[in-house]
Amino acid sequence: MSIPFIVFISGIVIAAASGLVGSLLTLRKMTLLSDALSHVALPGIALGIVFHFTPLWGGVAFLFLGIFLIRVIEIRTKLATESITGVLFVTALAVGALIIPEQELLETFFGNVQSISYGAAIIQMFVAILIIGVTLSFLKQLTLTSIAPDLATASKISKKNIEILLLVLIATTIAVGISFVGVLLMSSLLIVPAVTAKNLAKTFKGFIGISMGISAFSLFAGLCTASIYSVNPGLATVLISSGIFFLSLFAPMK
Amino acid sequence: MHLDPLLSVKNLSVTFHENPVIKHISFEIHKEEVLAVIGPNGAGKSVLLKTILGIIEPSAGSIEWFPGIRIGYLPQRFHVDMYLPMTVGEFFDLKPRKILTNEAVIRLLKLEKSWLKKKLAHLSSGQLQRILLAWALLDDPQILLFDEPTENVDVVGQESIYTLLHHLQDATGLSLILVSHDLQVVYKYANNVLCLNEKQVCYGEPKEALNHETLTKLFGEHTALHHHHL
Repeated sequence: MSIPFIVFISGIVIAAASGLVGSLLTLRKMTLLSDALSHVALPGIALGIVFHFTPLWGGVAFLFLGIFLIRVIEIRTKLATESITGVLFVTALAVGALIIPEQELLETFFGNVQSISYGAAIIQMFVAILIIGVTLSFLKQLTLTSIAPDLATASKISKKNIEILLLVLIATTIAVGISFVGVLLMSSLLIVPAVTAKNLAKTFKGFIGISMGISAFSLFAGLCTASIYSVNPGLATVLISSGIFFLSLFAPMK
Repeated sequence: MHLDPLLSVKNLSVTFHENPVIKHISFEIHKEEVLAVIGPNGAGKSVLLKTILGIIEPSAGSIEWFPGIRIGYLPQRFHVDMYLPMTVGEFFDLKPRKILTNEAVIRLLKLEKSWLKKKLAHLSSGQLQRILLAWALLDDPQILLFDEPTENVDVVGQESIYTLLHHLQDATGLSLILVSHDLQVVYKYANNVLCLNEKQVCYGEPKEALNHETLTKLFGEHTALHHHHL
């Protein structure tokens, strides 16, 4: 399969953004939340396929609707974010799978690089650059709120605003990553590299850098593998990133 | 102007789900003053601290800080994920509005510079508390709020933190609010004491405020007698 150069570049930037946002998620033990949240995009993607508009936008709309619903239910019931996401995620998965025509179901689940147009690749790349920029400029607040919430509040950082920012960053990252690795495998870009980096790094800078690097490398290698052996790039990316994870277990103890 | 209190709390109450946690608390703290807040476990001491810091919303009363004051805070508990890849120096860099350098606070605490390269996750609870103190000092606070840990207390570590606070107070004129369950802390370090057991049991200079009656109200008959005979 031949993959355009711009899709390669766009994919690498998106993967780097995922590695960055993912590293913040592992600090908060929110890794499963992001995994579940990615499924919430499914009905939106489904509507895009059925009604012939870019599925990405449907996905984005449903992700933000999902976040909004999680927030509302959270305030009304005081249930944990993870529990609510769990309910929404299976519902969204079932609804999405019902609507999507069977022949397109697989590529929605596992990604379809070939469906990415030049225009979409460029837009997604700029969104990913934006994600990296915003995350880095709020990195102190995001990190402090995660590791020491009381110190953050005492330093006049609004916990609520930072949490909303983080949810928006997760949703946007998922939205731009889905076309590469699909709904089911999004965590291969968000979680696996970050967990590997946590295992390897000694400093926080190193942690974030390694996470971004592994994520970008996995997607790049996944796309290369796909263009040579015509396997699904999403699957190749997952296997490469989890392969790096298992290799990292043999790294000398810190 | 500088006679204005750094903090003035009037008639403060906090309620959780309609259960009162603290009721009608009033006190003031001035420059260079050390105020000890004492009371048994569950008396609402930490809640009081968090409320004046703005972490918890009061249900009634007023909290007035001197305009533009810099406040340092040492929380009672600071749990660090065992696998958190972060050095002490990187933790210091997370501080918003830093005034002192990392090296300067490390020197203030009489620690070696090599501490900045240590991993946060490798520190003992006592060491972590020192690092928290350093973090609180980074923006050169005029007042420091110290919530003494109730668990994992190692006596030597606690002693050295208090000695350190005492030195800092002497050197910089820092005001302190010490939350403690230990009466010795009051006698040794405080100018004023606030006894808290949901209600405000006493407030004033330790010699006058702490008597048989207030101690009984605070800790029960047995403890009060014990301290009375000391």
